[in-house]
Amino acid sequence: MTIPVTFWSYFAELAGCSETVVTVSEPTTVDGLLASLYQAHPALAELRRSTLIAVGVEYQDGGYVLKPGDHVSLFPPVQGG
Amino acid sequence: MKRFLSITRDPIDEAGLVAGRTLSSGMGAAVYFSGVVRGQEGADAIVALDYSCFIPMAEHQFQRLFDRLAQRGSVESVRLVHRIGRVPVGESSLWIEVVSAHRAEAFAACQWVIDEMKQVVPIWKKPVTAVDASIPSNPNPAS
Repeated sequence: MTIPVTFWSYFAELAGCSETVVTVSEPTTVDGLLASLYQAHPALAELRRSTLIAVGVEYQDGGYVLKPGDHVSLFPPVQGG
Repeated sequence: MKRFLSITRDPIDEAGLVAGRTLSSGMGAAVYFSGVVRGQEGADAIVALDYSCFIPMAEHQFQRLFDRLAQRGSVESVRLVHRIGRVPVGESSLWIEVVSAHRAEAFAACQWVIDEMKQVVPIWKKPVTAVDASIPSNPNPAS
């Protein structure tokens, strides 16, 4: 299946794009997707410990099992206010 | 609990918001906070902050915070406006008001929403220096 991924804030600059699509086999967790993603975007791998992950509009952790139609977002710690 | 949320690129009309306040006869406290962009970010002088936002998720996360606030049972209403895009120094980027029966609850709830927002609502800011200011900000509010 293919999973669209959006990079927010300065993660887009580090990735060199604001969106990409990752092809993964089923079943795959967020961690599995990140492993593929970090190979293509190594600059993001250095920030993995502070990376926030959302699927749709909900936060998820690396163990979340992806399903068709999911949209993953990766971003740095938030800074509203 | 009544709630109002706006994520906007427009300047925050604080006077209009205050004028539009409604509270029932049992309410004795209306606390509001305005967060204003400072002229310094760390050691650097800046002229503005560029706010970007994942709007659908931000709206969802704000509503979840309001749901949790409602469970406290002591707040009659919350209104929150967050400005995004380029916000010049001296202008408000955040305005929040909480109405409750007593001031302790209102102050605590106002502080709680801001603290929680800074943990979960996907909004980011980027300092803009005088040199940067000659470059237009991103016209897309969702990036």
